[in-house]
Formats: sequence, C-alpha cells, structure tokens
Amino acid sequence: MSGKLSIIMFSGTADKFIPLGVLAQAAAAMDMEVNVFVTGFALMGFSKEKKDLPFPVEFQSMAPALMQGMKKNKVAPWYDMLKQAKKLGAHVYACSMMSGVMGMDKKSFNELVDDIVGAATFLQKAEGGQTLFI
Amino acid sequence: MANENRKIVDSRGTACPGPITDLSLAYRKSKVGDVIELWATDPGVKSDTKAWAEKTGNKIESVTEDKEKIVIVIRIVRR
Repeated sequence: MSGKLSIIMFSGTADKFIPLGVLAQAAAAMDMEVNVFVTGFALMGFSKEKKDLPFPVEFQSMAPALMQGMKKNKVAPWYDMLKQAKKLGAHVYACSMMSGVMGMDKKSFNELVDDIVGAATFLQKAEGGQTLFI
Repeated sequence: MANENRKIVDSRGTACPGPITDLSLAYRKSKVGDVIELWATDPGVKSDTKAWAEKTGNKIESVTEDKEKIVIVIRIVRR
C-alpha cells in the first residue's frame, strides 16, 4: 500500500456522491489507503432508511438527462462504487458530533459505515496524505 | 516465455474507474512474473493504467488499440 486519500464528505446532494464513489474506488484500486469521513447532510446518504438524495435546485432540470447518460455509459451507482472501494480496503467513518445532531447512531447507518469517530481521529488518519472536501 | 501465466481481464463496457478496479482485483490474485492483459473501452484506461503501474511498481509491456477495444499488457514485477 502506498499513498493515502482522505475524503471529507459533507454535501448531501446526489451529484456530489458521484465523485465520492469514483475517487474512493479509483484510489483503493491504486492500492492507496482510503478514509472517508462523513459529516453534515452527507450523513443522509448513509442512513439505513433508503431515501433518494436530492439534486441541487440549480441542476434539477438536468438531473434526468444526467441519470440517463450514466445508465447508458454503465457508470456504477455511487453506492456500488463505495462498496467496491471498501472491498479493496477503504474505510468509512461517520462524524460523531453531526450524527448526534441528526439523531443518528450506529443502528441508523447502513453497511458502508465502519465506525463513528470524532474529528481528531479523522485528522490523525488523514495526516500525511491527500485530503479532499466534497 | 512459453509457460508464463497470462490472464485476460475483460473490462470492456465499464466506465472509469471500472477498468482500473478490475485490474487491481486481478493484481491482488497474481504472482510476480504473471502477465495481465486488460481489455477496456473507457479511453481513460491508458493514462490510468500508466498511473497504476507507476504507483504499484509494475510494468506496462504494450498498449494497443483497435476499433473494438484498448488492450494493455501489464507484467507483474512487484506484489
């Protein structure tokens, strides 16, 4: 394993989850250590209750064409990409503070979430690598 | 090498990062000296495989392309 990618997943809209899936899977395939820290509205994408994530209002009219294009080009859904990244060794952590604010605990999260951690734990894991904020 | 272990990984039709992921999965099952032949159609595969090989310390032997697919031959020299 060489190199490290850490992603702070903050946005809760469907479009932003695409680069999360792509970059996590690509980095894991590159044999990099991958850590995803989920916070803010992004936590909704990791809820056990499966809800469709919203598109940002300014891109809403383009959403059907985008989804159709993704299907046509056989782009995997973000969920499958992140699951594949995890099979290759990626880790996903939920932010403890925001989980509490949103009334979520370990039982609220789906299979993608490994653990609930604090900001300091994530910063320690991310140290010395590349970090992205999405 | 007549008896080299050559494996074809058919990733045609998958979009980025599908090909590089299929390559990584095959790499994890490979041994030093094996040759992986990656078939893909996503145009990003050429530069992605180069980056992958540099990152993992493996060797690209050839990159060829026809109308149907891009074929990249990778020799596993490091595991």
